[in-house]
Amino acid sequence: MSHGARGGGGLLRLSLKGLRRDLRASDVRALFVALALAVAASTMIGFFLDRLDRGLTRQAGQLVGGDIKLEQGKPFDSDLRRQLEEAGLTLADQVDLVSMASRDASFQPASLKVVDGAYPLYGKVRVDLGGGIEEVAHGPSPGSIWIAPRLAQLLDVGIGESVQVGQSRFPVSGLIEREPDQSAGFGSFNPRLMMHLDDLEATGLVRPGSRVEYELLAKGPPQAVARVEDLLARLERQGVEIEDVREDRPQLGNALERAEKYLSLAGLAAVLLAGVAVAMATRRYVDRHLDTAALLRCFGASQRQLTQLFALQLLWLALSASIIGALLGLAGQAGLLALLTRFLPLELPPPGILPLLLGILTALAVLVGFAGPTLLRLKQVSALKVLRRELDPLPASAWLVVGVASLVFGGLLWLYSGDFMLSLGLLLGGLAALVVLWTLGWLLLGAVLRLAGRFGNGAGGAAQALRLGARQLARRRQASLGQLLAFAVTFAAMAIITLVRGDLLTTWQAQLPEDTPNYFAINIQPDERDGFTDILNAGDASRSALYPMVRGRIVAINDQSPEDVVPPESRGDNALRRELNLTWKEEVPTGNRVVKGSWFASDAAASPADGTVPISMEDGLAERFGVDLGDTLTFSIGGADITGEITSLRNLDWDSFRPNFYIVFPPEVLERFGHSYITAFHVEDGSDVPGKLVSAYPGVSLINVEAILGRVRELLSQVTRAVEFVLAFVLLAGVSVLYAALTASHTLRTHESGLLRVFGAGGRLISRIQGVEFALLGFTSGLMGALLAELAAAGVYIGWLDLAPRIHWPMWLVLPLGGALLIGLIGHALSRGVRRQTPMASLGLLGEA
Amino acid sequence: MSPILHARGLGKQVVSGERRLDILSNLDLEVFPGESVAILGSSGAGKSTLLGLLAGLDTPTRGELTLFGQSLPSLDEDGRAGLRAGRVGFVFQNFQLLPTLTALENTLLPLELLPGDDHQAKAREWLTRVGLGERMNHLPKQLSGGEQQRVAVARAFVTRPELVFADEPTGNLDRGTGGKVIDLLFELNREAGTTLVLVTHDHHLARRCDRCLGLDAGRLAALDRDEVEA
Ligand SMILES: Nc1ncnc2c1ncn2[C@@H]1O[C@H](COP(=O)(O)OP(=O)(O)OP(=O)(O)O)[C@@H](O)[C@H]1O
Ligand SMILES: [Mg+2]
Repeated sequence: MSHGARGGGGLLRLSLKGLRRDLRASDVRALFVALALAVAASTMIGFFLDRLDRGLTRQAGQLVGGDIKLEQGKPFDSDLRRQLEEAGLTLADQVDLVSMASRDASFQPASLKVVDGAYPLYGKVRVDLGGGIEEVAHGPSPGSIWIAPRLAQLLDVGIGESVQVGQSRFPVSGLIEREPDQSAGFGSFNPRLMMHLDDLEATGLVRPGSRVEYELLAKGPPQAVARVEDLLARLERQGVEIEDVREDRPQLGNALERAEKYLSLAGLAAVLLAGVAVAMATRRYVDRHLDTAALLRCFGASQRQLTQLFALQLLWLALSASIIGALLGLAGQAGLLALLTRFLPLELPPPGILPLLLGILTALAVLVGFAGPTLLRLKQVSALKVLRRELDPLPASAWLVVGVASLVFGGLLWLYSGDFMLSLGLLLGGLAALVVLWTLGWLLLGAVLRLAGRFGNGAGGAAQALRLGARQLARRRQASLGQLLAFAVTFAAMAIITLVRGDLLTTWQAQLPEDTPNYFAINIQPDERDGFTDILNAGDASRSALYPMVRGRIVAINDQSPEDVVPPESRGDNALRRELNLTWKEEVPTGNRVVKGSWFASDAAASPADGTVPISMEDGLAERFGVDLGDTLTFSIGGADITGEITSLRNLDWDSFRPNFYIVFPPEVLERFGHSYITAFHVEDGSDVPGKLVSAYPGVSLINVEAILGRVRELLSQVTRAVEFVLAFVLLAGVSVLYAALTASHTLRTHESGLLRVFGAGGRLISRIQGVEFALLGFTSGLMGALLAELAAAGVYIGWLDLAPRIHWPMWLVLPLGGALLIGLIGHALSRGVRRQTPMASLGLLGEA
Repeated sequence: MSPILHARGLGKQVVSGERRLDILSNLDLEVFPGESVAILGSSGAGKSTLLGLLAGLDTPTRGELTLFGQSLPSLDEDGRAGLRAGRVGFVFQNFQLLPTLTALENTLLPLELLPGDDHQAKAREWLTRVGLGERMNHLPKQLSGGEQQRVAVARAFVTRPELVFADEPTGNLDRGTGGKVIDLLFELNREAGTTLVLVTHDHHLARRCDRCLGLDAGRLAALDRDEVEA
């Protein structure tokens, strides 16, 4: 070795030169592709989730009108404003009230939204200012109003004409198509009338006793919001209603959260697949470089120099793969976003740098974890090896390889999921599964070998191919076992991502059937109840049950102050801070499922002898409060205290668009308190039922949730497409692993078939033998993959996605058969060239590998 | 008696890059059943290339070639393979043992293509005959070069072929072991009438053959056995 090469610079040059030469070899290309894939997967999903997350928070802010919304019955004082502004928040004032709008002799109730110059804090208003619909980032200017087209129609006014509001008259300057803050959708059934805050006083609508809601909206970076947390808590205790978007994400919650988790899971699966490909390619890389290493040792290279040389070479590889992968990831996330743009707010934050760093970290981790132990062999090689083949250092122990790879993967799992226990569980479960699979694979190969012996000894025909193919597979037990495990893991990863997708989609579809309620009716008085339902039943509406509603606050848990009983993280829970809607019901409410304990006996409430009544609690809330069957909750309802003992826990779907309750009492107990009824119903577009209800029962609030329902439906369909996109990516990654692995073992198979040729085997026999071998490999690993996937899916469903696990029978058929077919096809394609070569050529090739 | 192997005007040209290289040109050869023929020549003369052509492992660019009375160039790859099955043995210069198979499994390989149920016994018998009875379950890399060569010899003879091509079958063997392998070759030649076509540098081996041929400038020429110097 020359003097220069001993120094760092020489090593650098040598490593680059080596890498350039190496790029011709299939294993190095496989390594490169696998690493690039890992980076692409993690950055694509990282970029996407990061932007989606920030975009959603912003959109939630848009729905609410700001990052924080304070609400009370009187104006907010300037002291509070100053404190919020000092924390770095931008403020906007808003007043909501219901009033009559009139023109000539026609009167119409309108839902007034009084805004200031800062409106809207997020998003834009779609409004027709006379020249067609446009998007503007402001409200009406003082002295004029904007109204909903429906109100314009009812009052028969157009742009430029005037409308009387209270004691003032205002010209209409705009027709509102859509407001960015969708509270409009949840607002009153009355059509919108928007005016400037400066004009409010002149209308004379704000008088003592009138129902006016004052809102203070604040917008700012998360740090600013965090700074005022204490202040908000204090205000809340004083009775100010507070909405914080980060806590109260809109209704879309569950579906989107699962989708995000799915994407992370898919990203991890892709990384795992890439890791498997790296491990397969590394074996071959090392085998190939053992001779080089030995030669360099002959020329006087030290162990350290060898390590550095190969480490440098791989570092270049990893870095260049990272760059390509990151670019791919960027393109991929743009694709994902393109699928979701109609749902997402227009101004999505740009991609951040964090996912990129995470991607590169992933590549290095995958390289170290999945290739490290195998690469160490290179350093142990002795110069004598050049003379004596048998001096190959022992292959890295399979346990060491799997162990290190698992640890690294577990670390990545933790990093991505943020859940240590889950990662540990999955890791240990995965390792246990691998041990089982390894044993199973060993036994299966043994069985194949024994079985192959039984296939008679006749020459020719399918039996001979079966015998020879099975033998070839089973004889190379170690190598075959490695492939078997790698393929099983690959199939399992592909299967899990496919399974979870299917179950997610089913869940989503079941969630919002055709007749999902699009109207809520609240505040139905007991004496209006029968008349109200008569109108509903006479019309074409399909409705859920009418639920009585009583408001009550939790004042004690197990006779202690709730704050002392619940876990620290739940002390600020909204369910503790606010009044809850309580109901009573004889049967389990539709869509609810009792998961623990039992529903009220028919005479449950008849004799609350010790003053305690049975109650049923939502399981999520029970978990948050750390309470269980037998614990008691005391409610303060209309000045009286009522204590209930939890006798059942219910699971319910908050995204169902049905009235849902945390707490259900048995009948009779709450009837003596003031209550009203709530229901939800579905009517077709253009039905006259809502109109009839409004005119017959003006006191009842009808809330049209069609807009939100539509948004949720749209969101689900778009998220579904994103899920399909990612699924396709994972499947592609899986196929590339198979390809890399088969390429890695290609030389050996070439050698075998070349020799069989020499011994007189025909091309057809050889391709049959290989076919049998590949199909057996695919079938067996498919079977093992199905087992692994079933176990892992159960873990993921229970531990992460909160879905009920089930056995996926079709998979047990599809994976083995599909595996046999897929590997058979890839193998066939790979060996086609060899079958056409003369034996001399295919055997001669060996020297070059 | 008709020749078992017959080449007339045989030529092999290879193209590497722009250059055309005539390794063999206008070469004639007749080998009769039961004969033993040694081919000698300097390194790079084309001996391995010739042996490959004769066994149908490669295709000539020119000339006629018949094996067992069949014209090889007229057969396709499968046809040539079918002709070899069970009838031709081949010992490669670089052994060509499968690294993942044991000595026994390597020896079994050609037998498995043939009918019969005593394959194991035959393979064991042949490994014992080449002196590797104790090493049957070793992998090639655990064997020395000479031992690997003997596995290759056992593998070539295990099907009791009519014709054996051997490229330097004693190249890596010491005189004692080499002698044993040579004895074995001729024992078979005598017992079963196996025809031997050998490439060798080993003069002991060459001199025991019926004929010695020298490969030079792409052609074969008969050598006087006594010319082959010790
Ligand atoms: N496919 C090929 N492409 C280019 N050159 C070739 C090819 N095959 C053989 N040769 C060349 O033909 C010549 C003869 O090769 P061959 O292996 O037959 O020699 P040999 O007589 O067996 O030599 P040795 O005694 O060293 O084994 C060599 O120079 C070799 O480089
Ligand atoms: Mg040669």
